[in-house]
Amino acid sequence: MRYMYIVVFLLFSLSLNAHIVAMRVPGNVSSIGPNSKAWLSSRYTDIVLYPQTSIKSSDKEANELNQNSFAKRVKVKALSDGKNISILVKWADKTENNSSINGYVDGFAIEFPLKFEDATQLPFVIRGSKQRGIVLHVKKALKEVYELDSDIYYQIDKNNQNLFGKDLEEYEKEVEKRAIKGYEKVFMQWGMRVKEIKSFKSHMQMIYKNGYWLGTLSMPLKSSYVNLDKGAFALAISIWDGEKKSRGDLKLISSWIGVKLDGSNGGEKFLKDIKIKLSGDIKNGEKLVLENCAVCHRYKGVVMAPEFMAPNLSNIGGYSTTKYIEESILKPNAVVIKGYNKTAHKNFVWYNVDNNGKITSTMPSYDWMSKKNIEDMVTFLKSLRGIE
Amino acid sequence: MVIDLNKCLGCQTCSIACKTEWTNRSGREYMYWNNVETYPGKGYPKNWQKLGGGFSIAGDLKEGVVPSLKSDYGIPWDFNHDEIFSGAEFKPNVEPTWGANWDEDEGGGDFPRDNYFFYIPRICNHCTNPSCMSACPRDAIFKREEDGIVLVDLDICNGCKECVASCPYKKIYFNPKISKSEKCNMCFPLIEKGLPPVCAKQCSGRARFVGFLDDLESQVYKLVYRYKVAIPLRADFGTKPNVYYIPPVDSPFKFDENNKMTKESRIPKDELEKLFGKEVFEAIDKIKFEMKKRRETRESELMDILISYRQSDMFEVGR
Repeated sequence: MRYMYIVVFLLFSLSLNAHIVAMRVPGNVSSIGPNSKAWLSSRYTDIVLYPQTSIKSSDKEANELNQNSFAKRVKVKALSDGKNISILVKWADKTENNSSINGYVDGFAIEFPLKFEDATQLPFVIRGSKQRGIVLHVKKALKEVYELDSDIYYQIDKNNQNLFGKDLEEYEKEVEKRAIKGYEKVFMQWGMRVKEIKSFKSHMQMIYKNGYWLGTLSMPLKSSYVNLDKGAFALAISIWDGEKKSRGDLKLISSWIGVKLDGSNGGEKFLKDIKIKLSGDIKNGEKLVLENCAVCHRYKGVVMAPEFMAPNLSNIGGYSTTKYIEESILKPNAVVIKGYNKTAHKNFVWYNVDNNGKITSTMPSYDWMSKKNIEDMVTFLKSLRGIE
Repeated sequence: MVIDLNKCLGCQTCSIACKTEWTNRSGREYMYWNNVETYPGKGYPKNWQKLGGGFSIAGDLKEGVVPSLKSDYGIPWDFNHDEIFSGAEFKPNVEPTWGANWDEDEGGGDFPRDNYFFYIPRICNHCTNPSCMSACPRDAIFKREEDGIVLVDLDICNGCKECVASCPYKKIYFNPKISKSEKCNMCFPLIEKGLPPVCAKQCSGRARFVGFLDDLESQVYKLVYRYKVAIPLRADFGTKPNVYYIPPVDSPFKFDENNKMTKESRIPKDELEKLFGKEVFEAIDKIKFEMKKRRETRESELMDILISYRQSDMFEVGR
């Protein structure tokens, strides 16, 4: 029995260590969906997504529903034809939620760092920051959305229209024609600053089959926003479960995952750096975190700090890379998300802005600690993550 | 904005003005950026006062509940007027569950001894400390420097409803058609031209004053700060709302068990205190005192303002 646990643990850690390989395939993958036969040629990589717990939602019911959310394993495949990349995500979901009239919709997002030369300096995975932006591809299972234009006539509810019979039918047809089927959007995000990019040529699909969602994102490797054609790059995946009223920041999210472009050179160092693992003394790390961090940060089982004093660290090891955690301890000012917490919790200001617009985190640097102690702390923090 | 509850007759002209101007289309059909509700009553959306949101005394954003479109707002329905001529049964197209004026004029107390009600017109309070803005994870909601109007930038909003949960007045709505949040915009295109919002302009009871609180000559400044007779609704929510109300001053007296009139007002004091805080009693006394003065043909600036001889004097957004 004990051996079995060890085997399971080994498999678990092996799969977590893996990066995704985007198989090189002939033909064009710029617009393939989940049903394409091209996927048969590649294998799934397991990625674990963790509940986002750094920031709390203001929705009482949603918080109650997500209180005991587990981490979730999703399966990911990637294909490339040299010019385009296509990513397939498969995850289990008992219910198909696609109407926002009486509830919330299922969805998924794939994000890329805008700059990824250095895998030790990747953005805040949940939303990027001013210096380190992300590009975010979002697909929701929403059936249709209507963009508002200046033509008010076609926005009026049919019951309020003075039309009958055939005229009304024609009117309904025109309204139908103006609807945008499905919800698919691309955003560039720098922390609280968001910009929708309407010109991005990507293609997303979501299909619900036998209790699983299959979602794909196909897009060119090179665009004016981000160039992924560098041998290897990083992506992060998040999913929303409408049944649990999850949306926005209430989501399951992965850490930055390395993707190797098959048949393309370079990126070895990147792939190595992104999954650096430390094997410090986890017991000592726990003690140090309790002594140094728990005064402000809450995390699983440790709730000494006032509730909104600092980001909750319960799943930090799940969605942050080792290097990100280390950087946050040594240089808290490297990533500060302007806008967070500023007006919502005035007693606990997470950062200050001086007259020159320079943002300083409230968190002090811990660069005075010994290298070993930092390593132990990061090892412990990396272990802070929800179970599946 | 200051709304005189003594002059509101519940005619809903403001609601209709707002609806035809803004919310009769584009997925906003269920929304009432302006509604007039009967108090005591559940209001719109149903039980909004109990749904949470706002700030705690310590200044922390509080959790709130997102009302259900079906049971708390109620999906707007229509009747099959064109079918009944061919003998069809007269029926609504959606089962009515709740609506903006569902419990109109029901009020509280026991008829005929001490029943009572009054109207509360409600729009977005354009708070000084808006909880919707604080809750927005994308900075899509902003408060304009020049006039304090709180607006949603629809290009940024992604429809996560955090604002709906955290607004204690539930005056920001989710538009399911465009999947974004929308709210009263104080008719800002009109304000920019020096004109009042449509709800105020159309008010047949001349109950609404519009102006800037930092304009020391404005009527709203005088009502709120000089005479202190206009009080915000549920200031305990902590958002520093900017719509102020002149509380109901007079109500008929109660009858006792022998159906004899007493000297006790029908509107319970604790209800007034719950809505407007302790300041309400001072405000009522002040108004009563000034009323008495005016009855005795003495001068009273407060009464002259409240009487509003000319409606145009009530709107001071142009200067």
